[in-house]
Amino acid sequence: MKKKRNDAGSTLDKLEKLGKEMLAEINHGEAPTFECLLRSRGNILFDENLGYIKLGEKMETRTFLNVGQAKKFMQTVAVASKCKKFLKEDSHTSIRGLFYQLKFTLGDNVDEELFSEQSQSNPLVEDLEVALDVKREDLNLNTDRKGVVAGNVVLMDKFGGETNEIDCSKQGRSGWMIPSDVDNGMEFVSVDADYVLVVEKDALWQRLNEDKFWKKENCVLISPKGQSSRGCRRLIRRLADKKLPVYCFTDCDAWGWYIYWAIKTGSMNLAYLGSDIATPEARFIGVTMKDIIDYDFLSKLTIKTKDVDLKRAEEMLSYPWISAHKEWVEELKTVLATKKKIEQDALQGPRLSFVGEYLREKIGKKKFLP
Amino acid sequence: MGDEVNGSEIFKEFKEYSVVEFFKKNRQMLGFAGKVRSLTTIVHEYTTNSLDACEEAGILPEIAVKVEDLPDGHTKVTIQDNGPGIPPSHLGKAMGMMLAGTKFHRYMQQRGQQGIGGAGCTLFSQITTGKPTRMRSGLGDGKVYECDMKIDVKSNQPLISNQVEYLGNFRGLRIEAEFADVNYDKSEHGVYEYLKRTAMANPHAQITLIEPTGEKHVFQRASDRIPEKPVEIQPHPLGITTGDLVDIAHRTDSRKLSSFLCNTFSRMSSAKADELAKLVPTVNFDKNPKDLKWSEAEAIVNAIKTLKWIAPPTDALRPIGPDQIEKALRNILSPEFVSVSERKPKVFRGGVPFMVEAAIAYGGNAGRTNSEGERSGDITRYANRVPLMFDGGSCAITEAVKNIDWKRYDIREFDKEPVTVFANFVSVHVPYTGTGKQAITTEEEIVDEIRYAIMKVARDMQVYLRGKIREMDKETKKKIIMRYVKELSMDLSDLAGDSTPQEIEKKLVEMVETKYERIEGSAEEAEKVEEAKEEVGEGEEDEKEEE
Repeated sequence: MKKKRNDAGSTLDKLEKLGKEMLAEINHGEAPTFECLLRSRGNILFDENLGYIKLGEKMETRTFLNVGQAKKFMQTVAVASKCKKFLKEDSHTSIRGLFYQLKFTLGDNVDEELFSEQSQSNPLVEDLEVALDVKREDLNLNTDRKGVVAGNVVLMDKFGGETNEIDCSKQGRSGWMIPSDVDNGMEFVSVDADYVLVVEKDALWQRLNEDKFWKKENCVLISPKGQSSRGCRRLIRRLADKKLPVYCFTDCDAWGWYIYWAIKTGSMNLAYLGSDIATPEARFIGVTMKDIIDYDFLSKLTIKTKDVDLKRAEEMLSYPWISAHKEWVEELKTVLATKKKIEQDALQGPRLSFVGEYLREKIGKKKFLP
Repeated sequence: MGDEVNGSEIFKEFKEYSVVEFFKKNRQMLGFAGKVRSLTTIVHEYTTNSLDACEEAGILPEIAVKVEDLPDGHTKVTIQDNGPGIPPSHLGKAMGMMLAGTKFHRYMQQRGQQGIGGAGCTLFSQITTGKPTRMRSGLGDGKVYECDMKIDVKSNQPLISNQVEYLGNFRGLRIEAEFADVNYDKSEHGVYEYLKRTAMANPHAQITLIEPTGEKHVFQRASDRIPEKPVEIQPHPLGITTGDLVDIAHRTDSRKLSSFLCNTFSRMSSAKADELAKLVPTVNFDKNPKDLKWSEAEAIVNAIKTLKWIAPPTDALRPIGPDQIEKALRNILSPEFVSVSERKPKVFRGGVPFMVEAAIAYGGNAGRTNSEGERSGDITRYANRVPLMFDGGSCAITEAVKNIDWKRYDIREFDKEPVTVFANFVSVHVPYTGTGKQAITTEEEIVDEIRYAIMKVARDMQVYLRGKIREMDKETKKKIIMRYVKELSMDLSDLAGDSTPQEIEKKLVEMVETKYERIEGSAEEAEKVEEAKEEVGEGEEDEKEEE
């Protein structure tokens, strides 16, 4: 199991420790420095043993006395200081809110703002996440909520001084919207399910919810609604930590498949969060190109690929962690050869409830792709 | 030698017309064109006479020039030197006879080759105001001689009046003359600029100017070294033109053409003369040189060019010298930076020896103030130390400066930088573009040589400027970091839970200060390294460019 962390207290300590270390440097007559793992492409790697994308060992050191780094250094401290304040006040904001809190001029006679664009503050938030080994949610910085869940999962949500019990099996037609932070003040009370089913599209999630699929199959039904958010991936990871198998169901095209791969191995952009958000044990249900052969009717429901689909397919073939699986190479090559794709919605072709049948068969027979 | 032809022509004309007529006809030629230029020419004639006289006598020159505007519109020029003075018996010849100077037809490097000299000024004063020029001369023997001088325009003889001789300690020459049709102004062609530039090329001279406004300028002596006397040398065959050859041949005392050639030219042995004779069988080398025809001379000159000659002696060249130039420029311009270069003697037109000295001064009072009141690059041109004040556009020195890509030397626009380029063309024979003698002909070998000399000093300046930019960079860097100190101190104090942001700020400021002091030393080191590299690479670059 991962080391325990993520409570506001320890993040607060980490921030304060960062400041104290800088102060100690100054008191020793040394230039204050800030150190964190390099997040650039050159320091991103796929760990075969762990099965996800993570940062390498390359460190970046920022020194205040270096003219090229002075401003960034000061900005980093400003961001850290501001986040400490949020934590102390127990208030949350978005990274855009943070930006506005830090957008002010540096002094009466300095014609320069601390931050003038959000693109300047965003990477510094990530730097802090890496340096302190926390997530931005731990810094009380929220991202937009995305993704929905239904199933026999009960959570305890401590928020804004209140505590609410959330039963994901009692969320009706809409399900429970996955918040940005599923760690801080969020605890599982009970998880009573056999597996997690991740469905790319909200439309299919609604279909399965209406069909009471999760009740009948005793699974947790999640839709990231497209590419999955940090919170959604984190929830999947936490459910996987409860020893639930995770199965993914997406469109039959490179885009859909990549949603699966981002859940499974993490992504380059969030390589620094690899261990928190990747679920290497996830398996792929479909839709696959092979399904077109197995399910006659699908051959008539294919649509033409777009250039972006083909481009993404080629990219995926170039990732060694994907091309290591011959099944996936075959799938991707078929896309490139036939230039066809199938949406998961097509499974409603014969009858609306066919989706459930398809899934039951696949899961029952363990017809997964790795 | 073309100028000597002009001199001779002047001389010939001179016999035929009256002096006044000649003068009026040739005013422009003699430098009396335009009111400002006329005054500069007057001061130039007097000043060069004084400098030459002092040097010849081994005296450190002290020259005082006073220009006054008189109520009747005339301008009075008074010039006094501490030179050897002129014996009363020679004074009339020197100052009261046109073209009677000692400088004509002497093949040596001297300032005045203009040939109108002091007598020309006497005449100019006389024809514009009708007044005589007052002379005072002392030889340092306890007697002082004074007189009024005019020129008899019909006979070209001095008219001396009001002579007095008295006892006194005055040594030197003092001239007072009134002129009309002249104007004093402070433009780049004016007297002030002329004397300033003279001082820049003559650090051994002390020059004082009192302007019509009463304002006094003293260009202090910067060196106690009197320049060596120029030596008279024979012309080299390769430097001769057909006109020169005819001219000299007609004036020689030699009886045979062959002996004339051997006696007149350097590096012309009798064997060489024989060789030449074989090349031009149509010319009788035994004939009297006075009978040399133009076509014969032309054939000889052409044949000369086909033969190989030992290079002419260069010991007649009298450069100012790098240390002297540097002293002078530092003294007059108080610049931030000076570099001087001296090229080895070269020849032009296949045989005339010359050399170029160049210097560059940056910052301080270097450069000039242009008509918009802004600092601008300045080109100070000299031929044998004499400032060339006019016709800059057609001069080899201007051409050389313009041919340089100044951006390469970190001068973005030459016209917008406080930079003075100094170039002295040193030669027994200066190839002026015209009789005004204010510009050097733009012959390729001359322009190139001047350009290399200037490029050398421009490189030095670039090293200096780069260092300066680094200095400025350091300042800028410090400022950049400093502006973040306060905010960082406050944030860090909050972050660390420390309640003394002022303490943090103080320590950070100290840290930034010391860091950017420390770097200063290492930057200078870097500069030295760069300089060393520059020197190593230099020879190559020169060769490449010279190819």
